[in-house]
Order: sequence, then structure tokens, then C-alpha cells
Amino acid sequence: MNCKLTASLFACFAAMFFVGCGNTEPASSPKKNFTETQTSAELTSVSLALNWFPEAEHGGFYEAVVKGYYREAGLDVRILSGGPNAPVLQKVSGGSVQFGVSTADRVLLGRAQEVDVVAVMSPFQESPRCIIVHKKSGITKFEELKNLTLAISPGGTFSQYLQKKLPLEGVKIVPYPGNVSQFLLDENYAQQAYVFSEPFVAEKEGGDPHSLMASDLGYNPYTSILITTSKTISENPALVQKMVAASIRGWQSYLENPDETNKHINGLNPEMGLDILAYGVKALKPLCITEAVPKEQLGLMTAERWIELASQLVEAEAIDSDTVDPATAFTVQFLNSSE
Amino acid sequence: MKTKASFFWQRVFPPAILFGFVVIVWQIVTLAYDIPRYLLPSPLLILQAAVDQHEQFLSATLLTGFEAVCGFGLSLLIGVGIAFAFSQSKIIRSSCYPYAIFLQTVPIIAIAPLIITWFGTGFQSVLLVAVIISLFPIITNATTGLISVDPELENLFRLYNASRWQRLWKLQLPNSVPYIIVGAKTSSGLAVIGSIVGEFFAGYQADQFGLGYLILQTSNQLKTPQLFAAVIASTLLGVIIFGTVSFVGSVILKRFYALSSDAV
Repeated sequence: MNCKLTASLFACFAAMFFVGCGNTEPASSPKKNFTETQTSAELTSVSLALNWFPEAEHGGFYEAVVKGYYREAGLDVRILSGGPNAPVLQKVSGGSVQFGVSTADRVLLGRAQEVDVVAVMSPFQESPRCIIVHKKSGITKFEELKNLTLAISPGGTFSQYLQKKLPLEGVKIVPYPGNVSQFLLDENYAQQAYVFSEPFVAEKEGGDPHSLMASDLGYNPYTSILITTSKTISENPALVQKMVAASIRGWQSYLENPDETNKHINGLNPEMGLDILAYGVKALKPLCITEAVPKEQLGLMTAERWIELASQLVEAEAIDSDTVDPATAFTVQFLNSSE
Repeated sequence: MKTKASFFWQRVFPPAILFGFVVIVWQIVTLAYDIPRYLLPSPLLILQAAVDQHEQFLSATLLTGFEAVCGFGLSLLIGVGIAFAFSQSKIIRSSCYPYAIFLQTVPIIAIAPLIITWFGTGFQSVLLVAVIISLFPIITNATTGLISVDPELENLFRLYNASRWQRLWKLQLPNSVPYIIVGAKTSSGLAVIGSIVGEFFAGYQADQFGLGYLILQTSNQLKTPQLFAAVIASTLLGVIIFGTVSFVGSVILKRFYALSSDAV
């Protein structure tokens, strides 16, 4: 028994020794080592935390990685995937990542709770948030939402605004289930959705979704915005400037020609098929490039919109009045260079 | 009088002092290090959040409490019923027990959306989730109690030609009561967790909601003081239900032991 044990221990050590040798060999090759340190010294490492799994909503940021725009700007950007309840604001304000992707309503919610985050660029002008109803129901306006089941996420600012704003006679409100299966089963069912995602899935499964856009109700928070902290802005404005400019380039390019980046996103998140990503970009483009904000001005935000959103959140009782100054929640100081 | 005073000094005083000490240190730390409220709210902020919205917290706690009590009661009934069946034959037991373990290990979060698809949203689905989560400890404890009877007593019953029914009623059931009480204690806490998890998926209306909804809502909106208040309310609810079950259990045990000593 003892003999066997010593023998196997010896074998283990021998194996470790050889594996160790194998590992050290490439490191001892001076050429490769030199080039590696050279590139990492030139590029600044930056982390970007997403608010959801990679999808078309984040396409422009991935495009800037895939097409090398961040590298050209001297940034080595690492994109971190999010998911349900991803603590993007907490990570950014805590300093474990420099940048994050979030929405304007969450920035205001966060600032109301002393989270130091500031929006620096918004690829979306119109919110992709919507409610899908069945075409058969004949509903075309929010005011016509009556006598049905409505699935919306608890604590979502839009759902609270909706409940304050509309009479919703005979509407049974249930938690958002995270998929469209109940929608397909029940003709008297409506649910929250993103216009680039759920309507496509519902149609593909034989449903007849019609989207009521939240922006038509006047609720229109900037979406997929790039956020950082006021500390980073004051201490390292050059870094923020590079990040914003390269991200805008990424978005401008992604909306025109998304195929290569969509393949990249599909590789990272196989749940998102190439067909749904292609549909998503088509649905996103008119939300990002509008009459008021042409392609050259992509990323723009205005004070009026932030002030309006803040007052809507107060109305929805999501934040207390006077806890947030919307003017401090965003800055356009990094947007000029891209014009 | 003397025993009451010593109970106070031994059981109530030390944890109360510890509680006060922790709360004071917590308050000082949040003030001294200027910790933002979304990371760690101070005890005063939490108290203020609870007082400001006390109506909301109270009605949510009552609703969740009602769901938990109903879920626990159903679990007790169903669990003991299943254990009766298990105790009657080894074949039933060995063929069904693996599926009872399934109840214990099923990831409720994964099947909750299915439960809603099958049974709709609302009270019935919340109840079902609470029962699924809290059933297993009752089944396993009651079964153990029913089958681990003193062999000599069992022989005695055989000798006197007792019927299956007599054996169950007069031998196995009395033997199993302490076990069922142990299972009920575990299960009562789980029923609270079950109804909160159930509410995450199945149970809220715009005008009527429980603690599960409050927890989701406040966490979604980064309202950490309110989130802490909701979590503390859930914990208190669990303590109250557990305490009641423990108390009832100890009363039954006292009587039960008295009965059995009389019988001997």
C-alpha cells in the first residue's frame, strides 16, 4: 500500500514538473513577452458593465470593440455582461468598473439614494419600452387598456407611472413573467416588452403582437446610456472623452452595418439568434436616429428631457420631490467633439 | 417571582444588550464613515422608512403572514397524510420517497413561472409555492416517527392481535407526535420563505401586495432603507410564526408526556 502511494505521489510531482516546464517555455521567449507589455502599456484598461445579457441594445458598444474604435482611442475596453438585477450603478459608483450601461430613470433613482453616477451619452433618443397587446383586441392607444391582464415588473418606474396615469379599468396587474408564453395563450393579456425583442419572439411563435410605445404616453427615459462617476469626470476627463467618442463611433457604425458585431454578440449570448439581432437593429435605428437628432449628433441629451423625467418619477412616487437635481444627473461636455 | 427575574436576566437581558450594542455601533459606523444609504442605511433611516410607510408595511406583512399560515397548515395536513400512507407499507415508502425528495430539491425559481402558467397568478399559486417549499420536513419527520416504534411494544400489539388501525392510532401516532413537532418547526419558517418567493412570481395586484412585492419593488428602485425594513418585517413574521408553533408544540409535548406517563 505504502509503495503504491509513494509511486502515485511521485507520478503526480513528475506530471506537475513537466506541466510547469511547459508553461514557462513561452514566457522565456523574449520577443512575445516584449510585444505584450508594449501593447498593454499603451492602452488604458477600462471596464464597461452592461445592465443585461449582451443584445442589440448594447450593439454600438460591442461594435466599438469589434471594429477596434476603442483601441484606436487608446482604450482596452472589457465589456462585462449583466443580467437580472445586475448592480451596474453600485459597481460604477463603487469604482470596481469605470463605466456602465443603464437607463435615465435608474440614474435618477440611484441619485435619489446617494449613488454618484452621471450619464455622459445616450445612443437612444426614444425609449424602446412598450406594452404589447394582441392585434385582435383592437387596442391602439394606452387609454383603451381595459378589462384585461397586464404583466409588468414590480417596482419598474414605467409600470408605476402607467398605474398613476391611466384609469386601467378592470385591468388585473400581474408580475412580468420574463417571457411571452402567457401572452400567446391568453387573448386578453398584455405585457411589458422591449420593441426590439418580445414582439419578434411573439410573432415567430404565431402571436399577433401590437406595440404601444411608452414614449407615446410621454414617458421616454434615455436608454442604454453610458454612465460614469462625477469623480472620474473631474479626475480623468480625457478618459471619459475618449470613451464617449469611440462609443458614439461604434453606435453610428453599428446602426448602418451590424452583421459582424451581431455575430460577435451571438457568440457571447447564443440565446440571441442572428435573426432576432437583425430584427432588433432595424427596430432600434429609428429610436436612435430621429429628425431632431441626426446621425452626426447621436448621443445627445437635453436638460428638458431629464427635468421632465424627474418630475414624472416624482409623480409615480418612485422618488421624493427635491431629492434629485436632474441637471447634475447628466453632462453633454463630452459630446461636442463628435459633431 | 424569583424564577421570573432569573428568566429575565438569563434569557432576555443578554440578547437585548447585544441588540442595542450592534445597533449603536451600526449607527456610529454609518455616520463616521459617511456610508451612502444605498450601500448600508443607518438603523435610524430604516426605522424612519418603516414609520413613514407603516400602513404599507403592516398590510403587506399581514397578507404574507396569512399566506404563510395557510401554506403551513396545508403542509401539515398533507405531510402527515402522506406520512400515514408511507408508514403503512414498505413498498409505498420505497417507491414514493424519491419523489418526496424531489420536492425538497426542486429549484422553485425554475418552476414558479410554470406554476403560474398552469394555475394563474394570485393567492392559489403563492399557496402552492409555500406548500411545495414547506412540505418535505413534515413528511420525513412524521414518517420517521411513525415507523420508529419500540419493537417490544410492536410485538405486544401483535401478541394482542391489534388491527392495523389500532396500531396506527394507539402506537404509531403517539410515537410520531414529537417528530411531527420538530418537522413543523422547520416547516413554519420555510412557509414564510415560500410565500415571499411565491409573491415574487405570482402574487400581486396594484392595490394589494405582500412583502415579496415590497422587497422586489424597493430593491428595483435602490431604496435600501425600505428594503431593510421589508426584510426585517419578513424576519419578524417568521419569528412570530415559528414562536407560535414552538409554543403550541411544547404545550402538546407536556400533555403528551403526561398522558404517556399516566398510561404507564
